[in-house]
Amino acid sequence: MPKNIHEVRDPIHVFVRLDSDERKVLDSRPLQRLRHIHQLAMSYLVYPGATHKRFEHSLGVMELAGRVFDVVTKPENFSEKIRNLLEPISLPDQLAYWRRVLRMAALCHDVGHLPFSHSTERLLPDAWNHERLTREFICSEEMEEIWCSTTLPLRTEDVVKLAVGPKKAHDLNFTDWEAILSEIIVGNAFGVDRMDYLLRDSHHAGVAYGKFDHYRLIDTLRILPKPGPQEEEGSQEPVLGVEEGGIQSAEALMLARYFMFSQVYLHPVRRSYDIHLEDFLKEWLPGASFSTDPKDHLKVTDNEITVGLREAAAAQEARGHLHARRIVRRQHFKRLYERNPDDVQVNPESGDAIFGPLCNKFGKEYFRRDRYYQQGGAPDFPVLLRDDRLASSLSVSAVLKTLPILSVDFIFADRSIYYEADTWLKDNREQIIRPLEEEGVD
Amino acid sequence: MGRLAKAVLIVELIERLRHEGGWCGETHVQKAVYILQNLMGVPLQFDFILYKHGPFSFDLRDELTALRADGLLKLETRGLYGARIAATKQSTYIRKFYPRTLSRHNKAIDFTSGQIGKKGVVELERLATALYVTRQSGHQASIDSRVKTLITLKPHIPKQKAQEAVSAVDYMIQLAHDGS
Repeated sequence: MPKNIHEVRDPIHVFVRLDSDERKVLDSRPLQRLRHIHQLAMSYLVYPGATHKRFEHSLGVMELAGRVFDVVTKPENFSEKIRNLLEPISLPDQLAYWRRVLRMAALCHDVGHLPFSHSTERLLPDAWNHERLTREFICSEEMEEIWCSTTLPLRTEDVVKLAVGPKKAHDLNFTDWEAILSEIIVGNAFGVDRMDYLLRDSHHAGVAYGKFDHYRLIDTLRILPKPGPQEEEGSQEPVLGVEEGGIQSAEALMLARYFMFSQVYLHPVRRSYDIHLEDFLKEWLPGASFSTDPKDHLKVTDNEITVGLREAAAAQEARGHLHARRIVRRQHFKRLYERNPDDVQVNPESGDAIFGPLCNKFGKEYFRRDRYYQQGGAPDFPVLLRDDRLASSLSVSAVLKTLPILSVDFIFADRSIYYEADTWLKDNREQIIRPLEEEGVD
Repeated sequence: MGRLAKAVLIVELIERLRHEGGWCGETHVQKAVYILQNLMGVPLQFDFILYKHGPFSFDLRDELTALRADGLLKLETRGLYGARIAATKQSTYIRKFYPRTLSRHNKAIDFTSGQIGKKGVVELERLATALYVTRQSGHQASIDSRVKTLITLKPHIPKQKAQEAVSAVDYMIQLAHDGS
């Protein structure tokens, strides 16, 4: 008898189990391509162990999505109010269908990633991003065939909604139920995409910052109404929250995110390499951008780009030679300026105020700027207290209320000009960072 | 409009909402900015979608976080409930650099905060959704057809409340028009 359940070994979740329908998706070309897309772009140039790929992350997200679904849809884990707001939660056929959609969507949520993941996304035409490419793939003929042929046929649009979420699929209307399910994958607070990448990236980078008690956290997740202020009727918006006993693991997740971003994802050397890679691709790619045709997209992975980089670094006349050489020979630009609390007090756009004058003084080819603000809102989610009252996480957790917000603004400089620019900046910094009084309006 | 110019308008709106006595949690700010932008025409350029309970902008959510990182906004908690957003002293200093922007949009901010500052979150959700439906259906669409659309989109809203919300939006549009 053919085997219906398949196991894949995984360093984070030990075994990831999938059935034959899910196996068809795993064996599809878009998923297999992810075996050749580094999860953390060129972070391996800073953390040599960080060579893991989007493929195993996708399996991990599927595994965790299934676990969260099973917990939050257990009858003893939701209230009458939630039952009334989310009809499918108490209908067994609907639950079976949506569990299947959720796992498939989780498996596919990253198929649109470009080579080297996020770091090259600006090389797509306007209005395109990896989520839109993901959507193209999910709707492609190859995947449509799978959605129609599964034991329980799936609606393609349902897979799209849960994989991409309302933030990136704003042309689609989400029911409350669909919004909650997409939150399980890509949600701001408890999305399993984040849970898996923190654990996995931490493991491979060889740092401990991303670890947290995800077993406990998942076990205490609940769908809850959002608590409102005392003098008002609360919003009926159902969201993912935790039981009181899970608040410490939720804090640990948020701290893990903070530390992983500050130590790994926003590491200045890694960010500098990201910029050189983008500069290289602008010269190396035909038309200076990636194609949005899924057929072309299937052909390009990190492997082809890496070969191109090495060849271009070796040949002076090659397109993108200078940038390729900076990466291959480790001659990346160095951090000259970094946003800091003192400067932000004077001007929240201090990087902007410094970058322009530096380029004017020395030439823009010597400098690059990298700006990043943390995405998503405050870690404000409902907590179900032991006495059945609802509270905001920010009210019950001093850790969450005071969690720092990630924000970087780096200016990188070519080594050839670094010391001269550094001296000039020290002499002129105070004068140039002051904001200018507006001259016109709008 | 530059980022800091938009920031001072958001900060000013938040301060006026608080002054009106509103709770000023993130949902209030979301709906207030939606009205400021889409009823009063202030060009903040946030992309709003119809989310779980009314118009919501993920871009605005990110920007509110960024403004906290910049020290222009802060969170305050009271009791067991969610956080309120408040302007900081630092924001007063930055606002001084944008007198013209503030002056140009002062009336719009004043109107928005005056109209909705005291409203609770559930009423605001209904009102902002009714405005969303009105904008989608066109101002010529009848109250009945907009009520029907509103209930189709948000089945948890009772019919009478939907009617009240659509009428309140029409009244606000008229007031805004008369005042412009």
